[in-house]
Amino acid sequence: MENIKLKVARVEKGMSQQELADLCEVTRQTIGLIEKGKYNPTLNLCIKIAGVLDLTLNDLFWNENEK
Amino acid sequence: MKTKNKNPFFNLDERNKQVAYRIMAIMYLLTIVAMQAIVIYRQFVLGQELRDFEDIAIIMTVNSLFLISALLYFGAIPVRKLQIKSIVLIYLLLVVLGSLFTYAKYNIFAGPSLTFGELFDKLIAVYAITGIIMLFFILFSILGKRKLEKELE
Repeated sequence: MENIKLKVARVEKGMSQQELADLCEVTRQTIGLIEKGKYNPTLNLCIKIAGVLDLTLNDLFWNENEK
Repeated sequence: MKTKNKNPFFNLDERNKQVAYRIMAIMYLLTIVAMQAIVIYRQFVLGQELRDFEDIAIIMTVNSLFLISALLYFGAIPVRKLQIKSIVLIYLLLVVLGSLFTYAKYNIFAGPSLTFGELFDKLIAVYAITGIIMLFFILFSILGKRKLEKELE
């Protein structure tokens, strides 16, 4: 399932996938696949992404509908 | 904004590593299966002697032994508690399989059948080697468990 929240948060911060990837020390493809919902990141990477975007894990990865 | 990727493993991120590990595991399995097929082909189709493919057999045996030991040591095979009953059961299972394989190898597929005495000598070796293998596995299970408990302290 596509992670719209991450994409929106990234765009709101004015970052490209490459910029977010560089700050999280991963490849652009990994960020792209996370946004597409085709790769489940580890908790460590989730925390890193949340830290870079100044958001919480809930803001980025929690989906009320999937509960 | 661009920062240098400090990942030490050839600059691979977690997803790259995951994909690489999965492919490596599949290729390892295919290699082992291919080597086993070669051993069977050489033995039963080409009719070669054991000494002609002993090197491959040894590599496969050592490889499997270390693979299972590493899986036990690093916790890929969960060992809750080492029970004598389970150890004896696994030993007996391996002994039965080893005995059947040895009997089939020498008395069904090989040329002239072995006498009971000769077969018994081969079986003693099977029991001893199986015992050593079991000890190896137990040792790595204990070491792995100890390592894990140390990390949890």
